[in-house]
Amino acid sequence: MSTLSTKVQSVLDEPACATNQAKPDRERKKGCNKLLAPGAAAGGCAFDGAKIALQPITDVAHLVHGPINCEGHSWDGRGSKSSGPLLYRTSFTTAMTEQDIIFGGEKHLYKAIKEVVEKYNPPAVFVYQTCVPAMIGDDIEAVCKAAAAKLGKPVIPVNVPGFAGSKNLGNKLAGETLLDYVIGTEEPAETTPYDINIIGEYNLSGELWQVKPLLDELGIRILACISGDAKYHEVARSHRARAAIMVCSKAMINVARKMEERYGIPFFEGSFYGVGDMSDALRRISQLLVDRGAPAELLGRTEAVIAREEVRAWKRIAPFKKRLSGKRVLLFTGGVKSWSVVAALQETGMVIIGTSTKKSTPDDKERIRELVKDDAHMFDDLKPREMYKMLKEARADIMLSGGRTQFVALKAKMPWLDINQERHHAYAGYEGMVALVSEIDKALSNPIWEQIRRPAPWDVAAVRDQLQIHIA
Amino acid sequence: MSQDAEKVIDHLELFRGPEYTEMLANKKYMFEDPVPAEELARVNEWTKSSEYREKNFAREGLTVNPAKACQPLGAVFAALGFERTLPFVHGSQGCVAYYRSHFSRHFKEPTSAVSSSMTEDAAVFGGLANMIDGLANSFSLYKPKMIAVSTTCMAEVIGDDLNAFIKNAKEKESVPQDLDVPFAHTPAFVGSHVTGYDNALKGIIEHFWDGKAGTAPKLERQPNGKLNFIGGFDGYTVGNLREIKRLFDLMGVEYTILGDNSDVWDTPGDGLFRMYDGGTTLEDAANAIHATATISMQEFCTEKTLDVIEGHGQEVIAFNHPVGVEATDRLLMEVSRLTGKPIPAAIAKERGRLIDAIADSSAHIHGKKFALFGDPDLTLGLAGFLLELGAEPVHILSTNGGKEWKQKAEVLLAGSPFGKGCHVYPGKDLWHMRSLLFTEPVDFLIGNTYGKFLERDTKTPLIRLGFPIFDRHHHHRYPVWGYQGGLNVLVTILDKIFDHIDQNTNVVAKTDYSFDIIR
Repeated sequence: MSTLSTKVQSVLDEPACATNQAKPDRERKKGCNKLLAPGAAAGGCAFDGAKIALQPITDVAHLVHGPINCEGHSWDGRGSKSSGPLLYRTSFTTAMTEQDIIFGGEKHLYKAIKEVVEKYNPPAVFVYQTCVPAMIGDDIEAVCKAAAAKLGKPVIPVNVPGFAGSKNLGNKLAGETLLDYVIGTEEPAETTPYDINIIGEYNLSGELWQVKPLLDELGIRILACISGDAKYHEVARSHRARAAIMVCSKAMINVARKMEERYGIPFFEGSFYGVGDMSDALRRISQLLVDRGAPAELLGRTEAVIAREEVRAWKRIAPFKKRLSGKRVLLFTGGVKSWSVVAALQETGMVIIGTSTKKSTPDDKERIRELVKDDAHMFDDLKPREMYKMLKEARADIMLSGGRTQFVALKAKMPWLDINQERHHAYAGYEGMVALVSEIDKALSNPIWEQIRRPAPWDVAAVRDQLQIHIA
Repeated sequence: MSQDAEKVIDHLELFRGPEYTEMLANKKYMFEDPVPAEELARVNEWTKSSEYREKNFAREGLTVNPAKACQPLGAVFAALGFERTLPFVHGSQGCVAYYRSHFSRHFKEPTSAVSSSMTEDAAVFGGLANMIDGLANSFSLYKPKMIAVSTTCMAEVIGDDLNAFIKNAKEKESVPQDLDVPFAHTPAFVGSHVTGYDNALKGIIEHFWDGKAGTAPKLERQPNGKLNFIGGFDGYTVGNLREIKRLFDLMGVEYTILGDNSDVWDTPGDGLFRMYDGGTTLEDAANAIHATATISMQEFCTEKTLDVIEGHGQEVIAFNHPVGVEATDRLLMEVSRLTGKPIPAAIAKERGRLIDAIADSSAHIHGKKFALFGDPDLTLGLAGFLLELGAEPVHILSTNGGKEWKQKAEVLLAGSPFGKGCHVYPGKDLWHMRSLLFTEPVDFLIGNTYGKFLERDTKTPLIRLGFPIFDRHHHHRYPVWGYQGGLNVLVTILDKIFDHIDQNTNVVAKTDYSFDIIR
């Protein structure tokens, strides 16, 4: 476990992390692994975080070494889309039993790796460590090394037992795994001055594909997206990119920073949500590429595309403006989305009455502050009970959040829209913004909200009186 | 086909537009070193062969697409069946996040459960501190009347002693001395969610009947003629338990449902958020000791629980998720025998209606071949109903079924001429099922949502019956037990059969000679 704790410590020391930057030295050493309160409702674990960060790599076999628990519940739980291979949606596990706990699970794991390779011949196998084998001392790094040598295939140990910490920590440990074992292990056949990496984009509902046509048009090549719709070889060759954009700041900041450090790939933090942010992202990608030697004419072409797309987007959003203007929104999401969506919604005249900042960096918070101009609208840790109260008092017209808070909204009779991983629409890019606005409009105008807020006919005073007369 | 404000489309259609399909095809051929199409087709065909099946069944270390979940999931299910009870899982917190989303995706309701959030330190030094703080926090935050403790693997590997821990926590005043805190050890590396249900329910019953872990006198059984009823881990619990209550009320039976999840997973949208709703009252749970007998609808969910109940002098009867006429007959006749209550005319009529419905439609099901996978009891119950309909089960598979289940299934099959050609597969996964469906094809597949991958690969139409069902809504609100429940299952099967016939006959001027209005 000592290697794991060293790794965890190093991830928590992340110098590029804005939260860390704001801390005094002494505090920083303690790391940012928030201690979880036992007995309170909690989120996912480190394993879960690593699984969702890596599972979008579509052509490798994701093999979970642990009892049925871990893979049984995480099998195909995310809507990240693939343009080709579907192996990532097949569930592989060692489903450890008591025998393994007593005698150790290493041989079982080796056999499972061998069988995966024989039956599916994937370009690589990712082996996830979970609580139980970590505790009984299964050395997955050694097993993976032996298997890789014997089977002639990359077998990547993802050392993320759930007890190591939170989901976010798991995201970062997943990133470390890529840095240690995958990135830079192969060379691309050719490179261009227009090669970029996109880091922290998972292609949920196909969002990456809404952005890619714009990049294609500009001649900018995605050398690797880490990890949405990614193939193993793309990630392995990603160290030759000229620039990178990081779109989910909290999850993969260590990957972006270390790739800059090791391979000199400059990066910036951007967002594909919202018209303004999308333009900004394109602009900065082009600028970085030009800074690194791409012909300067790229900048002009980028501006032309931006100008054209913005006009198109506004034209399509305009019809909604009248209907959405003045509507009050409660936003319950994390990280980049907590501000990038704010800007987008304000563009349609909606009023943000609150946004959660639990998973936001100080930098994120600063941006929100600029946008909503009021600290009172930021909730660091809105408890479900308070959220419910707010919704109940109808201080909002709609809540945008993820699946776990969905039911709180619905029970409080509050229109709700999923903007997290289980959503059905892709909201990225200029295209996605139109979809988001249209979906909000649909959610708000759904007839069930009127119905759900109306009392039952027998609870209306006038009717009640009448009924009584009738009975009398 | 870019987004248009007039008609925004979702990802089902969006990426089929020419600009996207071209983009994705380019990505594949320019960057992904794809294997030649012929090679891909050859290997794909090979995975359908008997040769591959043999290799597939020779697998030892690898489980592919398992159709089972873990013990604590079942423990959380059992705990939620009691009045204002908070399931508290001692171990790592990520597991609990999974249970909550798993149930919420199936029942479309919030699911409350907490974890003691053990970390690496706890793994080294034991989880006592987490138990003490956890109980205190959850009690003050969520105001439960009972906290039902179970465990994840993590606590089990280090061997945390729940009994001592809870005592210790009470001494430290993290919760009141008299708060009911039953417990069960539920390691995920043993058994499955049905085992966990059994352990947790047994823990709750022992807690109330056997002196609350030495803090109260043991209860003395004084038979009162009532009946206990246990549904077991059941994806249809909302509809099923309400149906059972209706039947018992019609019969005039006095009963206690031990573990009543029907309200907590079906709260109304009236503006009130209910963290707890319904459930067996703690008083009823204690008084259940006095019943004449206990009926369990799912033997494999309640093996140990029934042993404990029997040990207290009650008669215990276990069914295997009974579905259909004969199975419901057996259930009601037992209830009648135990309580002395006759079957009322209203129920007799329901029975007649189910028989009538089967007679109306059985020609469409008779002789059709089925593959079936799911939990041990459910597969037995559904297989029984299929035999009753004259359908022919061919493969019955249960990842969490064992030797006993296999024997039971084989006895069931041997009892009917329609069960002759059927094989039973305990401990196998859905990748085994894939080979079975390719090498010995059937007409229809019955199973949970995960069966859709098999439907996609083998083109065997999937009839969704089981747990979890994530991709169809609200079926858990309809019973599959009782004669009404049998009718629901019949209709579910028939709907798929007719849909399939229509899909097979809808090509204009080619196959539509059989595209009929009347089926």
